[in-house]
Amino acid sequence: MSKTCIDPKKARKILDRYPEGDQTGLIHALQDIQAEFGYVPREAVEILCERLNVPISKAFAAATFYKAFSLEPKGDVVIRVCTGTACHIRGAQTLVDEICVALDIRPGGTTKDLKFTLETVNCVGACAMAPVVALNGEYHGNVQPGSITKKIQGGK
Amino acid sequence: MTTDKTINLEINGRFFQGREGMTILDVARREGIPITTLCHHDALEPVGSCRLCMVEITHPDWGGWKGLVTACLYPIEEGLKVTTDNEEIRRVKRTILDLLLARCPESEVIQKLAAEYGVTTTSYIKNEVETTCILCGLCVRVCEAKGCRAISAAGRGIGKAIAIPFKQPPPDCIGCASCAHICPTGTIKYQDTGNVRKIWGHSFEMAKCTICGRPVMPEKQLAFEADKSGLDPDYLRICPVCSQQKTVETIRSSFGISPVESGDSVCDAGVTPVAHR
Amino acid sequence: MRIKSVKSLASAAKTACAERAKNKMEVLVCAGTGCLANGSLDVVKSFDRAIKSRNLDTKLKLGLKTTGCHGFCENGPLVVIQPKGIFYKGVKPKDVKDIVDKTLINGEVIERLLYRDANTKERVEQYTAIPFYARQLRIALRNIGKIDPGNIDDYIAADGYAGLAKALTEMTPEEVIEAVTKSGLRGRGGGGFPTGRKWKTCRNAAAEPKYVLCNADEGDPGAFMDRSICEGDPHAVLEGMVIGAWAVGAAEGYIYIREEYPLAVKHLQRAIEQARERGLLGDDILGTGFSYDIKIARGGGAFICGESSALMKSVAGEIGEPRAKYVHSVIRGLHDRPTVLNNVETWSDVPWIITEGAEKFAALGTKKSTGTKVFSLVGKVKNTGLIEVPMGITLREIIFDIGGGIIRDRPFKAVQTGGPSGGCLPESKLDLPVDFDTLTDAGSMMGSGGMIVMDDRTCMVDTARYFLKFLVDESCGKCVPCREGVHQLHQILEAICRGDGKPGDVEKIESLSDVIVAASLCALGKSAPNPVLSTIRHFRREYDAHINNRKCSAGVCRNLFTFEISEEKCTGCGLCAKACPVDCIVGELKKVHRIDGKECTRCGACRNVCPVDAVEVV
Repeated sequence: MSKTCIDPKKARKILDRYPEGDQTGLIHALQDIQAEFGYVPREAVEILCERLNVPISKAFAAATFYKAFSLEPKGDVVIRVCTGTACHIRGAQTLVDEICVALDIRPGGTTKDLKFTLETVNCVGACAMAPVVALNGEYHGNVQPGSITKKIQGGK
Repeated sequence: MTTDKTINLEINGRFFQGREGMTILDVARREGIPITTLCHHDALEPVGSCRLCMVEITHPDWGGWKGLVTACLYPIEEGLKVTTDNEEIRRVKRTILDLLLARCPESEVIQKLAAEYGVTTTSYIKNEVETTCILCGLCVRVCEAKGCRAISAAGRGIGKAIAIPFKQPPPDCIGCASCAHICPTGTIKYQDTGNVRKIWGHSFEMAKCTICGRPVMPEKQLAFEADKSGLDPDYLRICPVCSQQKTVETIRSSFGISPVESGDSVCDAGVTPVAHR
Repeated sequence: MRIKSVKSLASAAKTACAERAKNKMEVLVCAGTGCLANGSLDVVKSFDRAIKSRNLDTKLKLGLKTTGCHGFCENGPLVVIQPKGIFYKGVKPKDVKDIVDKTLINGEVIERLLYRDANTKERVEQYTAIPFYARQLRIALRNIGKIDPGNIDDYIAADGYAGLAKALTEMTPEEVIEAVTKSGLRGRGGGGFPTGRKWKTCRNAAAEPKYVLCNADEGDPGAFMDRSICEGDPHAVLEGMVIGAWAVGAAEGYIYIREEYPLAVKHLQRAIEQARERGLLGDDILGTGFSYDIKIARGGGAFICGESSALMKSVAGEIGEPRAKYVHSVIRGLHDRPTVLNNVETWSDVPWIITEGAEKFAALGTKKSTGTKVFSLVGKVKNTGLIEVPMGITLREIIFDIGGGIIRDRPFKAVQTGGPSGGCLPESKLDLPVDFDTLTDAGSMMGSGGMIVMDDRTCMVDTARYFLKFLVDESCGKCVPCREGVHQLHQILEAICRGDGKPGDVEKIESLSDVIVAASLCALGKSAPNPVLSTIRHFRREYDAHINNRKCSAGVCRNLFTFEISEEKCTGCGLCAKACPVDCIVGELKKVHRIDGKECTRCGACRNVCPVDAVEVV
């Protein structure tokens, strides 16, 4: 099954955990969908809206307001460069630029082969190890220019 | 919701009374005291997003403290002292209009409003994206009030935009065009051609007046209104002009009076049927 | 298992203490986010294998425990050996054998694993002798680093839930509010609102039901106090909230925590389940008939949801747009009902105030800012990490005495406090006491406790630009002054940092900022101009240099300087060439090196590694 086509049964299974018509569960339900599919597909949202009795415009507003949600599928490896203040003054921007050049994408983008997604995060709370880069949730601290691209391309 | 409790307050040095639950704007409008607004509409709940209705408030119990609040939302309280115009307030309004002019430099409505405060060209960097939408949110709010909730604001911050869900014609849209009618800058467009209304990527078939055949409203809207109000759909399927004529004729024929001619009125109050445009 | 009365709690505590007393030695390995990233779990596994294979747990009566964040993250993985208090840093799995043989069995200290004082250059053996820890007074952080946050009995053995027992059985709700008021506790999230007064107003509000919430959305970049408390001592937060619910009269609550803290979410969830199991949360707490339960609500990646009204909208399943707070949340909050929202650190302080007494808390700190505060000290400082100190301590003491001063002894330039709502303070302000009110007069604010230290290689104009970009990304977009105004401020700063600044830009910034402050709907907008205004106030010359001379003397704004290697200073060691990611430095060993200006991306890697400061900004 391609990344842009989802199994509705999976979505239904997730959403059945929510009481029917429970509108307050909108954000949690979207989070569960994001966790399951790696993004928030329209088909899954339609099932969500039916179950929770939420208008699709409202679900769409929430999915675009909160940065935790992505409307597009992400790459196999999600690279998150922390751009919190401590990381910024220890050179986070240089790391972002470096990865952008290496992978030919902009922050927020995914490579054409769907292997990598680059995101910036406004602080992961590991400030004492600045600058921090997370690869699929695995944190790397004290990242020096040049080293992260090697790590990424090493795993390529 | 207002209560029966009377509140005494002062606006621009004059004393007024209101009921608990009213806002400063409610009292000002009632008394004809001018306060500029942009995102406000009497039929909808206020949101305080344009900030053009800011007024200065203070109170004898506040030890000299004064501050700016939005008149559309601030609930009146006993002893409140309100000033609707001073140099700081004018400066705030001028800046807000200047910022809106940077956002929508081509909007004639904003150009006119900004000119009222002495802003003819913006001091700020113009928007790269061409738009006349000032994000007042009235379209979304009226759609919600109607019970459809077809459109919403997507994104946040400077990238926020009124959008259709997942870039597809909104499934909950009934084609009533209330959003277009309430938009202060004419940003939302729709086309009525022949028997079709095009809006938000939809093509809605119009219900035709059973008497004159002219389009009345989209079929989908008719079904929605009938369902919501409980009114007979056949009643809704008559255009306002024919509906009025029908009323007049029904009464006249019951009295045995001949059918109405254009210009005739049904009673001394002078209710004159309006002709079809 | 369920603790059905205060008496049972006391005996459970006694049993737990006795259990722990059986161990003559304890190995505590930090498993906070920082140390985990440095591989501390592998260290734990190595210890576990070594201890089991040699039966050391029985032979030496040895316990092995993972704890929460000690706060000294840059030196991790951290291992503490109790009761001797030996502190080892940078421990790798290959060091474990040595530690077991030499320290655990033979009682010897391994010099190379000891922390070396950045200034005296001496090795320090004792945890408590390290200046970073010696000067701290840990109340909110009292248990962190000592207990296993996944084990509720560890918490109970450390007097956990004794405060709750006292509040529920020996005090009325009004007496609890009185105690919190007397303690002088003010909101630790940065707002500094008197906690007792907040609870009292909520208790007196007529509507029902009431809610008691925890704000764990810690959005200030550079701050990780709340993360550490949630990871390292989640029960302290829960206990505080139950006490608060008792005081206010609430039966339901939420912890709203940002999704960027997955480990903290996990630990809190586990703690909630354990507390429910033991009858310390949920129905009929401690058999008193009082019921209060907590659910976790995760944030969706929106800084604005740290603002109270936006947070409550998010909990209710809406987008996090704040509302004008002409009617406060304690009257109409979550679901339009009276709601108390307090920060993680505030909740963590509450049980201590109940057990130790309000007077003891009020005796610490200053008159108007009582008690202690947790700060995250990060940036260009030698000892980066979390510290908890009495209010009223000066910036100088924090940065130099505890922090050890600037990395590589470079000149101090500024300290940024209060996150995106705060400002930057220069050297002349270093002797100001840190509390809720003093820093505000100087143009900054204490905020939630994030403290970012900057040296001469930080550009203050770039710092202002950085914060404005952050705020542009995080603005909800509801009101014009913030959405359009902060965006325009950012545009001006971008232009200045690009070299396109114009005379009059500073005045334009100040004038627009006035309106943004006066007219914005919420605190994000109202405080958005603080970083740029404080840097203009204290570092005006840098702005003038950027605008009038197109020069960035700190060497940050890439269009406004170049790097050159000084021929006099260069020793030809070649470290710069090795560090350069674009290979634009040429030079033979022991000969002066040269940067190819055309290829140089001005990333600063060479300057960072040069041992003689030969890379100069031109």
